[in-house]
Amino acid sequence: MLYQATHTTRYLYEAPVSHCQSEVRLTPRSLPWQTVFESTIRTTPAPVSFDERRDYFGNAVSAFAIVEAHDRFETVATSLVRVEANPVAPNRAATWEDARARLADHHQAADLEAVEFVFDSPFVAAGAELADYAHPSFTPGRPLVEAVRDLSHRIHAEFRYAPKATTIDTPLLETLRQRRGVCQDFSHVLIGALRSMRLAARYVSGYLRSGANYQGAEASHAWVSVYVPDSGWMDIDPTNDVTPGTGHVTVAWGRDYGDVTPVKGVALGGGRQTVEVDVRVVPVDETALGSARAGGL
Amino acid sequence: MKEPSVAGKTRHTDFSYAPPAGGHWDEAIDASGRTRPHWRRLAGALRRMGYAEFTRRWEAGQRLIQANGIAYNVYGDPKGVERPWPMDLVPLAIDADDWAQVERAVVQRATLLNALLGDLYGSQRLIRDGLLPPALIYGNPAFLRPCHGIVPTAGVFLQNYAVDVARAPNGAWWALADRAQAPSGVGYALENRTVSARTLPGLFDRCHVRSLNQFFEATLEALLSLAPSRSSNPRIVLLTSGPANETYFEHSFLSRHWGFPLVEGADLTVRDSRVYLKTLGGLNPVDVILRRMDDTFCDPLELRGDSLLGVAGLAQAARAGNVYIANALGSGLVETPSLMAFLPGLCRTLLGEDLRMPSVATWWCGQDAPRRWVLEHLEQLVIKPTFPRFGAKAEFPAAMSGEERRLLSQRIEAHPDQYVAQEQVDLSTTPVHTHRGLQPRHVVLRVLAAWDGSTYRVLPGGLTRVATGQRSIVVSMQLGGGSKDTWVLGRARERLEARPTPIVGPESPAMSSELSSRVADNLFWLGRYTERLDATARLIRVLLPGLSGESERGRGVSVDTTVHFLKGLSLLPKEFHHASIARQWWRLQGLLGDMVFEPNHPSGIGWNLRQIRRLSWEVKERISSDTWRVLQQLERDYAGTPPANPDRRFVAALNQLDGTVIMLSAFAGLLAENPTRGHGWRFLDLGRRMERAMQMIELLRVGVALAPFPDDACLEVLLQVADSATTYRSRYLTAIRTRFVLELLLADEANPRSVAFQIAALHDRVAQLPRHDTGESTPRELDLAASLLAQARGTRIDDLKKRHAAAGGHRVTLDAHLVTLRQGVATLSNALTARYLTHSAPSRLTSSF
Repeated sequence: MLYQATHTTRYLYEAPVSHCQSEVRLTPRSLPWQTVFESTIRTTPAPVSFDERRDYFGNAVSAFAIVEAHDRFETVATSLVRVEANPVAPNRAATWEDARARLADHHQAADLEAVEFVFDSPFVAAGAELADYAHPSFTPGRPLVEAVRDLSHRIHAEFRYAPKATTIDTPLLETLRQRRGVCQDFSHVLIGALRSMRLAARYVSGYLRSGANYQGAEASHAWVSVYVPDSGWMDIDPTNDVTPGTGHVTVAWGRDYGDVTPVKGVALGGGRQTVEVDVRVVPVDETALGSARAGGL
Repeated sequence: MKEPSVAGKTRHTDFSYAPPAGGHWDEAIDASGRTRPHWRRLAGALRRMGYAEFTRRWEAGQRLIQANGIAYNVYGDPKGVERPWPMDLVPLAIDADDWAQVERAVVQRATLLNALLGDLYGSQRLIRDGLLPPALIYGNPAFLRPCHGIVPTAGVFLQNYAVDVARAPNGAWWALADRAQAPSGVGYALENRTVSARTLPGLFDRCHVRSLNQFFEATLEALLSLAPSRSSNPRIVLLTSGPANETYFEHSFLSRHWGFPLVEGADLTVRDSRVYLKTLGGLNPVDVILRRMDDTFCDPLELRGDSLLGVAGLAQAARAGNVYIANALGSGLVETPSLMAFLPGLCRTLLGEDLRMPSVATWWCGQDAPRRWVLEHLEQLVIKPTFPRFGAKAEFPAAMSGEERRLLSQRIEAHPDQYVAQEQVDLSTTPVHTHRGLQPRHVVLRVLAAWDGSTYRVLPGGLTRVATGQRSIVVSMQLGGGSKDTWVLGRARERLEARPTPIVGPESPAMSSELSSRVADNLFWLGRYTERLDATARLIRVLLPGLSGESERGRGVSVDTTVHFLKGLSLLPKEFHHASIARQWWRLQGLLGDMVFEPNHPSGIGWNLRQIRRLSWEVKERISSDTWRVLQQLERDYAGTPPANPDRRFVAALNQLDGTVIMLSAFAGLLAENPTRGHGWRFLDLGRRMERAMQMIELLRVGVALAPFPDDACLEVLLQVADSATTYRSRYLTAIRTRFVLELLLADEANPRSVAFQIAALHDRVAQLPRHDTGESTPRELDLAASLLAQARGTRIDDLKKRHAAAGGHRVTLDAHLVTLRQGVATLSNALTARYLTHSAPSRLTSSF
């Protein structure tokens, strides 16, 4: 499926900002099942410097500064991206205990790489309460894939999707106790529960196809990836209780939201600020690709 | 340390000293009770000096510490004040051969930790090869992923390094803790040396103490050589988190010692991956940052979500290779105590040699065999979190009940990788001078090292810290421990250079060098508040005597006049506007007393003093130590509790006000005579002149323009507050006349108290400020200053002194003129602020989804 994804973030300030330093992760990743044909980031006011790099997790980061006084800052990221079915076919037989043992040993390079996602991170610390929540899904000898799907299903069933109930600073345990939140919270709960079982889980930030009957399509979305030894990373979306397929566009991944915040920045001045976000992921036909190529790709 | 004073009853007269029994190593006395050879010279010299003389020297040393303002901030101290640096004059003597071993071991350790950082922030081969458990790095909050892949100049991650070492009962040295991100101690070590060398000069020379000076020179050279740009004259700054930091004294001390600007995060900005210092003259590139700020605070954009202390974009500038940061961002990783368990193996792998100095025995519970051992030997161990975090405490199973130990074991079993166990350390003891004579105290030595361009160099000395009490094994400046100078004794044949020159003397630092906008702003407001304090003190001092019961009639300012002034200056609270209350002198006396003694009175002395205190700490390295002492004294005068008895309170208030006026005169005198006329001085003076102009304008409005008829009493108050009564009498030889008062206090440019004098001075200062290239023919603030000066000069006193019957007999023309001048000063102040001083506070963009 080919998409035109447009992610607009707009800050409105009460007082002028004289200088703003910003860092964005808005360029979708290139993956075996995802091809990025075109990706641009436009910023108003125009930035004075624009650095692009890959971060520790391999995500594309654009860093820039705005030095003219402004009371409105807008960044529009546009991508033309094709998503195919994820070819990772997770080993359905491997038990979660096996997976845990493999991570504890981490003798193989891929296992060692995944170990990074077993430990606590700033937004997601494992603990007894999360382990208690995870336990019913992790019965002895159960295949990992099945246990994870069950856990994700439970989160979907037991938590209420409530856009105004939480902010990104709401502690994980509070989300767990109140059983409500948005995709970031559900993903953090799932990651925390998996890490409490000493399994490797990472946070994926991305987009949902617009118009599909999904929760969280109006802003950027988040889901979870779980490490299945010998197979690789298996995506799971607890907010919609689905296995992400061609309707999920992967932008970046990390240990939690903090590693992949789409737009962050430090501004001088500004006073009170409001932020508006709009995400559109529209299927386009292959002729769009032709014109993108003609445009110089 | 205990209260150091030598009280009469407990006065000791000799240097007798006996270390405690119990198997600790004592630094001065060996197991058979004999003085160790390297202490004999020192002990002999002390005996010859005599205890009485030593005590006198010690007191002189305390005065020097006070005078130099050596201090240590204590977090959470309710008084919020810096604590004088607790220093014991008996040095810790260390033998040359012994020291050579410490030196080699510390050089090796610094080299090893630097190589370890290179691997962990690079290829991470050590983790892949199984030499380090991934949990200790990937699960470590001190491992800063944004810093991965940044390679500092010459691969020097650790430019400076410190390690706390202690001596085991067998005399061997052990490493207790590594300090790698922003180690403190060199400045305090140098201050201790200054104090001991100045108070014990003869002793110092006879003992062949090794000098500290070359270390500081070598460090400076190395910092210059590490600058990444090819600039021939690299700019180095010292980055501090500000006066609230516990070792802020050291930051400001080192900045003066080396001559680097002391900057806070807001003074720096990153443009195009380059770091710049915001100065009055514009942006100046920065090549090297010696930081005294923790890793995660340094860059609010990339490193930490909840702090705005640092410099947004700093990590990017380091990544681009445009700035050298000492120490590299992320260096705190190797402070992790659990790493100590792996250092012997890492040393063989990375350096191909054995670790020279053992670390305190450490077991990380995340591994099976060590965990089992720990659980079996809990009572002998100290249990700590694997990753130190603020507020996390060490646990001592030896002091626990069986049940508590069982619960601890359970916690360890549940999350083994979160715990690390260390052996309880037996610290050596050393003699400390107390009011009960020499007493043994446990001792920890902080050894400091720095990259010198080719290898690490160790400061031959270091910072010795001693425990508070005889039984205490906790050695912490935070918890009230003491410190000592550390004398590494040279071999007799070595030529040891002379005693260090005094480091902090009464010199006045050049106030012009690289003035940042923030410092200029602080100096400007320091000027304003000192002048506001002066005006307040002088006014109360003139009004208060008229309110004593005895002098109600006759001498002193009448109650009516006092009410007129207080009301006119908006100092009279609403309830006093009721005439019958306002005429009750004892109530007015109480009101003025409150302005003197009540720390929270909004127009009072205490509030001004607090502002002055805050600002003077911000600019400490910019003002001379004499000026500093004056400001300290000013504050100390009001530290005590005022008398409750109204009469005594009244007398005390007058005395303190006199003291304040004199101290402020000393402050003004030091400013007039000492500093070079740089931009720093100029901004301080601009603040003073503006405030003084504003205060005098208000006094003239109340005391002349709006004065009731006849105005003699008001004029008298004016002359007294303005300290111009004598001038008036010698100049005019006549009774007080409005015209002459206006001449003297408004128009006379030769009278340092007049409005005209302030305005002429403002114009002069503004004309000399640095110019930005803005394309304006004349800068706006210079235009404003010039027109203000023209206004001040362009009036005739005869017009101004006329009363207007229609306006209740007020001098309307004068009042309008004064209001115009006041407006002019305010506009000029705003223009200067906009041009030079504006630094808006940073804020974080709301996280977006």
